[in-house]
Order: sequence, then structure tokens, then C-alpha cells
Amino acid sequence: MSHDTMATATDPDFPCSLSIDVPLPTQRLAKTALQALQVDKELSALVRRDLSIAEGDAQSPALLHVEYSATTNRMLRVAVNGFMESLKLVVEVMETLDVDVLEPGSNTNATS
Amino acid sequence: MAKDSWIALGCEGSANKLGIGVIRHTSSNETTILSNLRHTFVSPPGTGFLPKDTAAHHRAHFPQLALRALKEAGCSIADVDVICFTQGPGMGAPLSSVAVAARTLSLLWDKPLVGVNHCVGHIEMGRTITGADNPVVLYVSGGNSQVIAYAEQRYRIFGETLDIAVGNCLDRFARTLKISNDPAPGYNIEQLAKKGNILLDLPYTVKGMDCSFSGILASADALAATMDKGGFTPEDLCFTLQETVFAMLVEITERAMAHVGSNQVLIVGGVGSNERLQQMMGEMARERGGSVFATDERFCIDNGIMIAHAGLLAYRTGYRTELKDTMCTQRFRTDEVFVKWRD
Repeated sequence: MSHDTMATATDPDFPCSLSIDVPLPTQRLAKTALQALQVDKELSALVRRDLSIAEGDAQSPALLHVEYSATTNRMLRVAVNGFMESLKLVVEVMETLDVDVLEPGSNTNATS
Repeated sequence: MAKDSWIALGCEGSANKLGIGVIRHTSSNETTILSNLRHTFVSPPGTGFLPKDTAAHHRAHFPQLALRALKEAGCSIADVDVICFTQGPGMGAPLSSVAVAARTLSLLWDKPLVGVNHCVGHIEMGRTITGADNPVVLYVSGGNSQVIAYAEQRYRIFGETLDIAVGNCLDRFARTLKISNDPAPGYNIEQLAKKGNILLDLPYTVKGMDCSFSGILASADALAATMDKGGFTPEDLCFTLQETVFAMLVEITERAMAHVGSNQVLIVGGVGSNERLQQMMGEMARERGGSVFATDERFCIDNGIMIAHAGLLAYRTGYRTELKDTMCTQRFRTDEVFVKWRD
């Protein structure tokens, strides 16, 4: 579990918030997405982001939990849109180039 | 058994070219290019490429381009030792888009990462491809214009642009004339310039070891606005602009050569593929009893193989970039890199 900023209940300075749970097939993939995406800081000081891994359910074993809050809805929208584009890239790289995609039969169940 | 060969995957995306390449080094310093693929984001005539659109282009093309690069190289994941990516300098969003993908690969494949300085990538690829031993390097592209010489484990900047890159001047002038950006605005200016005859009046702005291009661009734009009544053609304008800015580059390169006592010049960067620049530089170098080295468009124009190459050189000296340090930076000076792999 890692948090890159402190998740707050409701910060009055950052009233516009959005919470996203991204379901991923394994803990390994959720952790990969988190680590790849959390390195880059948010471009604007008016936006806060927190990433963490949460346990899902039987259908979605692992969740990438994303908390965004911003000073305005516009900043929130811009930041979340940008995040989704990066997330899409991460997922497509996983779909196209993961170990078991390139070499069918490899074991990717071990969490690193 | 000691390792005697290494393979690196390199990913480049600092401007509008997405480049992915796979390279192999041996302990006897043989370099083999296993694959070198590139996809260029071309914007319509009269426009330039904007960061957001360029980043979107890179994100869209990365997975398939990387897959093709691996397949062409005939490499398995186990064969790859390190994943290299351009950490800077360049445009923020495009750089970061490639870094996100490189990080993902590093985590999925459990391979180390090396962040590479884009300018050092150009230099190292140029040195290896041409065999130039210790030349003065003219690095000229849409984003950078520097005269560089190696000294004591750093690529030192002897002269540079004080404002915009020479390639930026050419690219933006192409927009003024609404010249096509396909395959590159500079290439199309070069073709038009070949048909130009009249040398018009443009400022010549060399300032010691440095030069400035923004005033020349403004003057060229002003001249272009009078073309109807001026009795000259777009070809004449392109010819004039090239002759002027290239003469400036030759001058500051020669100044650096005199300073360090070298007679070899290596031209790298996209503008280095311009044959007129190579010709003018060659005349100057020959007058000094030396020669000019240049590479073809596979290596001159931004590519992934140069990132793999420079990255692998660093990796072999023990250099690694931890995940937490893989943020990109738009400003990354050439002399910030410790060139441990050279004496």
C-alpha cells in the first residue's frame, strides 16, 4: 500500500473531488499501474491525487483506488482526463507486452 | 561466466517522433542495431505540433511500435538487459507519455531503467556510426542548437543558440510559407532552397561563440509578407534563410574547433541531415585540413536506437535510474551527464 499524498476527508480548499476504482485482474498489475503512474506529480498545485491498492471482490480481484480533489470542477476534469489517458496507455502496454502475452505459458501470478 | 553481450530497448519521444529501438553491445565494443523503428506525428501545413496532441500520438503508437521493435530484433524479454528512455530535454507531455510506458515495461518485465539525456544520445550514436574519434559536435535540431566538445567526462557546451533552435527557426518559417510538414518541414525547405537563386538581405547574428535565430525568423517573416511586390519567390526565401543560418553555424563551429585544436566536425540532430549544411561545413573543415562526419536520417532524426545506445553505455558503467527518479524534465543540460564510459 502506498499513498503519495495525504487523503483527506473533505478539504474545504479542494471541494471538488472524484474517486475512481480501476479493476485489474491481479494484484501485480494493480501494483504495476500504481508505481508507473505515481511517479509524475500533478502539474497543478490546485489538484491533489492519491493512489492506493484496494482489495476487490471475486469479479475484480484488485483495485487501483484513485482519489482526486481540486479547487474547481474544471481543474478536476482536466486532471482526471489526463490521468485516464495515462492509465489507458499503461493498460494497453500490459495487454500488448506483458510477459504472458509475449511468451504464452509464463507465470505472472507471483506478486513482486 | 562473465557477461559479454548486452541488449537494451530504447524509447524516444521528446518531440514529434516516437522512436523505439533495440541495440546490442559486446564486451569487445561491437555495436549491432537489432531494430530501429519510428513513427512521426505530422501536423497540417501552417501549424506546428502541440504538446498535448503529440503526447496523444505517442501514447497511441507506443504499444504496437514496441511490439514490432522487439519482433524485428528477434528478442525475448529475457534477452533484454535494460530499458532506456529519454528523460529530457524536450517537451513535457510527450516526454512523460513515453516515460510512463517505459516504467510499465520495466515493472512488468522486472528490468532496470536508465534515463537518457537526448543530446548525449545524438552524440554517442553519431560517434559510433561515423567512427569519429573526438570531434567537435554540432548538434542542431528543432529543439536544440549547441556546439559541443568532450573534455574530462563531460560534453561541454562551447556555443549555443541564445534563443530558439535553428531547426525551430526553419520549422516556423515553413509555417509562414504554409509548406508541408511531411516528412519534415526542414526537409521541404531544403528542397525548395535548391531551386532558389537570389540571396536576399537577412540579419546575420553570431554573438561570439553563440548565435541567435529569433530575429532572423522575424525578418524572414517580414520579407515573406512583401513577396508579392518583392520580385522574389519562396524558393529564394528558403535559399536565403538556409545560407544565412548555416553560415552562422559554420562560423561558431569553426570558432570552437580553433579553441580546442580539433579539425573533425560531427553533425548530429535532425538539421544535420541537411545536405547543404553538410556541404558548407565540409568546405570549412577541409580548409582546416579536417573533415565533417554526418549520419543519415535513420540516426540524425530523433530515434530510439540512440537512446538505447547511450543508455546501454551508461548501464554498463553501473548507472541505473530508480523508479522514483524517472520524472522527465524539459531542461536537461548536456553537460549535466557524467560521461563515465569515456576516458
